[in-house]
Amino acid sequence: MSILRYIITLVVSIGTVSVATAQETSDSIHSHAFAVGIGSSHQLDTYLSPQNYSGLQINILRETIRMTRMVQRRISFQSIWQGAFSHSQNASQSATDWGGRISYDALWHYNWTPARNLRLMVGGGAGADAGFLYNSRGGNNPAQARLGADISASIMAIYKFKCLGLPVNIRYQANLPVLGFMFSPQFGQSYYEIGEGHLNNNICFTYPLNAFSLWQQITADIPLGKKFVLRVGYLCDIKQSHINHIKMHDRSHSFMIGFVRHFRLIGKSERDSKALIL
Amino acid sequence: MKRLILILLTMLSISSCINEEQFDNTPEGNAEALWKIIDQHYCFLDYKAEKIGLDWNEVRGRYMSQVHKNMSSSQLREVLCNMLSELRDGHVNLYTAADVGRYWAWKDDYPRNINDDIRNNYLGNDYRIAGGIRYRILDDNIGYIVYTSFSSGIGEGNIAEVLHYLRLCTGLIIDVRGNGGGQLDYAERLSSHFTNERILVGYRSHKTGPGHSEFSELSAEYLEPSSTVRWQKPAIVLTNRECYSATNTFVRNMLCCPQVKTLGDYTGGGSGMPFTSELPNGWLVRFSACPQYDKHQQHIEFGIPPTIPCELKAEDVAKGKDTLIEAARKLLRE
Repeated sequence: MSILRYIITLVVSIGTVSVATAQETSDSIHSHAFAVGIGSSHQLDTYLSPQNYSGLQINILRETIRMTRMVQRRISFQSIWQGAFSHSQNASQSATDWGGRISYDALWHYNWTPARNLRLMVGGGAGADAGFLYNSRGGNNPAQARLGADISASIMAIYKFKCLGLPVNIRYQANLPVLGFMFSPQFGQSYYEIGEGHLNNNICFTYPLNAFSLWQQITADIPLGKKFVLRVGYLCDIKQSHINHIKMHDRSHSFMIGFVRHFRLIGKSERDSKALIL
Repeated sequence: MKRLILILLTMLSISSCINEEQFDNTPEGNAEALWKIIDQHYCFLDYKAEKIGLDWNEVRGRYMSQVHKNMSSSQLREVLCNMLSELRDGHVNLYTAADVGRYWAWKDDYPRNINDDIRNNYLGNDYRIAGGIRYRILDDNIGYIVYTSFSSGIGEGNIAEVLHYLRLCTGLIIDVRGNGGGQLDYAERLSSHFTNERILVGYRSHKTGPGHSEFSELSAEYLEPSSTVRWQKPAIVLTNRECYSATNTFVRNMLCCPQVKTLGDYTGGGSGMPFTSELPNGWLVRFSACPQYDKHQQHIEFGIPPTIPCELKAEDVAKGKDTLIEAARKLLRE
């Protein structure tokens, strides 16, 4: 029950803060991006197997970014929903891992423009993720649950330039979780035992030394026509932990493609709109 | 600021890659990988060092010298299976494409104390079947239940119907001889019909680290009474050395219930819930990972002694009689 309480508290907290920010920022342009991607997946979870697994990963990414009124309209708010599904095999091709994860991050960045075509953003936020990794050969240890939440540091840089006459936005972003907690069974604890309510330090404190993770994305936004902006990019998502003597890594490198749409609420001024666009 | 960046970079470099040691897919690499899996994850190394003098480090030295790079797959399998047999554990297996390595001495080295044909004679042809249970009322008004595998499912409704049908019997025989285990849920579900109150039946623990002695505190296991039909009369559970794993747990639970005795031989044991892992060549290894204990916090890995020891006698077999069933009937009639 206590795990559930943690999760509910966290989700409600993040949701409350996000809604509050949305209300705060309702006079600005909203940029919505949707992208899907495919790439390589590298999995290790020593609770299931000491062997490395590698294969394919599919990503779905939904992102919203908008300026807020905070600090003289220099703070932007970004929300990221990500779904990831992986299929990987061990080196001998004798076993398969199926993985799935959904995550949400709410981030705030301080913006400044040191040059006319360059915007730098530094900030942080909070996020939560849930998922699983299932091994096709496991007996009483066939799967591992993923559940965690963290606060993270984040940096972003956006550079605008013209390419073949088109205004292209290049963006790099990196998010580094610095403090959080995650669920983990003990080294040899069965989910049967956990299911019966015998918990044993299964919610663990995380920080970069025991759970170094890094989310990085490089995108290029290319306008094609008046309303359609194409997004192509590379997503490097590294999640790792060494908790309760269980080692885990989930690394993926994906090519992303999608589109971006900018919305300005009716009745709002051009001045508000310019706050977001570089 | 420079110092902060330096600290941050040091932290990142220390923690940047979390990997597990990967062994080569060679005979030596696979043997080392197997030895390490057992060394870190197997839950009875300390207990078996005390009971049977197992020294896992000594085992390594003895078997690694038999492994060389030019050996065939079947030769490697044989060496690794022999190494695993040192654990004397029926829950330890090596699954390869060609064979399943196993240790069955826990039952093969002892009398079976059962004759399947004779047991079938007691059931006759008109027995009833409810889930994995076969049952009937014997001529002397003793209820007789046979449950040969806890892998065969049974629901609350099945058990309630069985006990309701047998409600007028003088006593009940539950024959789990030859039941090598299966789902713990079914074992607990059946035993919950033999107590009217919540009772302590044992303990369990799990490994908290790779060291041989790194275990959690024991956590108590309680048996909750079923909310449907509960048996209130004497019951005898027939056991032999083939009662293993979930059946071992069933017998442990039943011995904590009032009016229940066991008759026959020791159970086979198998009190470690098995986990699986794998070798670089893809072979799967199963091993005991989470130990269970009885209510006195004692290991039951090597079996549970019967309340009433009894052996199947050859002269009874010659007459088509089952010594254990007859002894249980006599006790229940009294």
